[in-house]
Amino acid sequence: MIPEIGHIILITHLVLSFLGGVMPLMAIFTKRDSLVLPIKRLSLFLFTLISLSFLSLVYSFLVDDFSVAYVAQNSNTNLPDYFKLAATWGAHEGSLVLWILAMNAWLISFIFLTPSTDKRFLASVFSISCQVIFAFSLFTLFTSNPFERILPIPPLNGADLNPSLQDIAFTVHPPLLYFGYSGLLIPFAIAVSAMLFDIDTKKWAGYARPWALMSCSFLTLGIALGSWWAYYELGWGGWWFWDPVENAAFVPWLLSVALFHSLITSQNRGVFGKWSLLLSIFAFATSLLGTFLVRSGILTSVHAFALDPERGVFLLGILAFFIIGSLTLYSLKEFKFESNTYELSSKEFGFLLNNLLLVVLAISILFGTLFPLLYEAYTDGKQISVGAPYFEIILFPFALALGLLQGIALYLSWGQSKSFSFLPRVLIESISFFALILLLLFVLFDNLYLSSFATIFLASWIIVGTLQVNNNRNIGYWYFLKKRFAVTFAHVGMAILTLGVGIVTSYSLEKEIILSPKESFEFGDQVVRFESIEDKVGPNFLSKSAIISFENGKNTSEVITEKRTYSPSGQLTTEAGIKAELFKDLYVSMGDNLETEIWSFKVQIKPFIRWIWLGALLIAIGSFFSGVRQIRRT
Amino acid sequence: MNPLRKQRVYALIAILVGSLLATWLIISALSQNMNLFYSPSEIKSQNIDFNSLIRAGGMVKEGTIKKDTETLKVSFVVTDYQNDLVINYEGILPDLFDENAGVVVRGNLNIDGTFNAIEVLAKHDENYMPPEVANLVNKEK
Repeated sequence: MIPEIGHIILITHLVLSFLGGVMPLMAIFTKRDSLVLPIKRLSLFLFTLISLSFLSLVYSFLVDDFSVAYVAQNSNTNLPDYFKLAATWGAHEGSLVLWILAMNAWLISFIFLTPSTDKRFLASVFSISCQVIFAFSLFTLFTSNPFERILPIPPLNGADLNPSLQDIAFTVHPPLLYFGYSGLLIPFAIAVSAMLFDIDTKKWAGYARPWALMSCSFLTLGIALGSWWAYYELGWGGWWFWDPVENAAFVPWLLSVALFHSLITSQNRGVFGKWSLLLSIFAFATSLLGTFLVRSGILTSVHAFALDPERGVFLLGILAFFIIGSLTLYSLKEFKFESNTYELSSKEFGFLLNNLLLVVLAISILFGTLFPLLYEAYTDGKQISVGAPYFEIILFPFALALGLLQGIALYLSWGQSKSFSFLPRVLIESISFFALILLLLFVLFDNLYLSSFATIFLASWIIVGTLQVNNNRNIGYWYFLKKRFAVTFAHVGMAILTLGVGIVTSYSLEKEIILSPKESFEFGDQVVRFESIEDKVGPNFLSKSAIISFENGKNTSEVITEKRTYSPSGQLTTEAGIKAELFKDLYVSMGDNLETEIWSFKVQIKPFIRWIWLGALLIAIGSFFSGVRQIRRT
Repeated sequence: MNPLRKQRVYALIAILVGSLLATWLIISALSQNMNLFYSPSEIKSQNIDFNSLIRAGGMVKEGTIKKDTETLKVSFVVTDYQNDLVINYEGILPDLFDENAGVVVRGNLNIDGTFNAIEVLAKHDENYMPPEVANLVNKEK
């Protein structure tokens, strides 16, 4: 009964979002203000409906209702309750419901937190958002209904949640990512409304900025968690694979960063108005495109979702409708002349370079991701893949330029910067800081790799540039907390991430080796020993569990790596054994069983890998609080 | 020059230089990192350069997986149900690698017609087949 109720609520939500998408705009354009719906109440109602529908799906999972096809495919009576909850968004249908829930959550926050008195503008943002929500609800109900029943004979037990998804990080990663993606809906709706009602650039940019920051924050967290998950769950110690699905999240992230920087300029100076509009549209477009790429299965990827061309076509239709619609609006609009001027040495020009670099980088990555599709279409079915080196070659120069810019960015002033006297000091201090890091690395790892120098210097340059600006301007403690901590956090986070990437890329060690119990070998400054192996029984798996010890002088640490066989799917997974420290991770994953007790192992040392996620966390915190502060200010 | 025009010129130059550099970068990076996919039959019928990095794939044939218990060397045969291809690899295979599973390998051809893999891919869902392999199987059916 509950699934039917959830289904009916979802249909009600569909109808209501349609009304919300059409009525307010019609009322405005036919000048019948009485017909402008009470949008606060309506958004609250929509949010309640989708929450209830989502909860009834959660309920079906928790009570093991295998007559619901989606539950039967993605859960099992043996699955621990927490993972039953998480299984709700473990596959396509449920994640769509969560996605719609996320869009509604952003919409309701916007409606309640924006103090605008312009009723028409608010109603229009509400309407545009409802149209997108309606399109997604339609898509869900027609191609991916999560409440579909298997009748008359439901299976006795479910097929189980994919074992590699049975993991704490993975249960949080998709919701964060969906919130990040769907947050870009708000700047898009604001941009379209600004075009419809000729809203002043400074004003609309101010409204859009907090939401761009927030979705950037969620995207950062979501991507970082995904990377962390892949690192320990996929069992081979990589943290970024340039997989199409990762790129599908990375491109919107780059554009969301570009967007909120551009919005800062637009809000303060009234320039880059048209650019910010386009960027709002395209940031949203790439988030839809990301969905399309992931869900249609059109690209080779480690992320497996059901391949269904019908879904792909539907999503492409949604994408085309909103993008063509908003771009048509853009091309028909006559823009007012922007009168503020700026010099080469200005903050405006700094933001222009920042945006140029981020957007061109995003386009290059998108191009590499989509190139196999283009190639296949032009050569009549010849298949290629674009390897990770492509993306690394592309990323490096852009990251270098962006980092150099970031180090001086905070010193620039609007219009024209008066003095560059800070430069020698920042340069000298960052060189000293660079030397200090090298010293630390030499003490820790007895080795210096030339290949990591560029990124380490870049990180020092950003850190010094960011922190020194607060000294330079004699910023007091309170002023710092109130005004500067968000940007400082985010920029320092970027530096820490850069440092982590640079060091882990050059300093990692890895070895694949065959060991029998009690056998040991030397690895870097460690002696690695295969201590013992035993059988274990988990709630829904059997495992072979090996204990590996690392010995370095007096310090010994043990890690456990497992090979699990999950029932009922029979799927094999590797659980890596990781000893995580601030400066390095010791990482072992189990390979094959070669003879009775002889196993192969992959052993790795990953210096500074934690710093990548630590940096991402700081970026997320910085952009989140910056967003919160912007909401309070507007 | 009036300030507004000057500002436009700056922006224009930045955009032009940026996009030219990016285009050059994309083309050079792409030309080195495009890996073509071949089925076992295509490998048999076409002349493929031994030095070029390519991808190949198919279903792993039953009873053909040979593991060396001392050196991590492994060989197996992939098939598209028309022709076979012998793959040599050294290293740990992914969890989902098994008989009758679809795999994609990256590496280069040897003169004797066998394939040296530097990477073996199997995907993290057992119901899922790499699209290239799924295409091959569907063609045969």
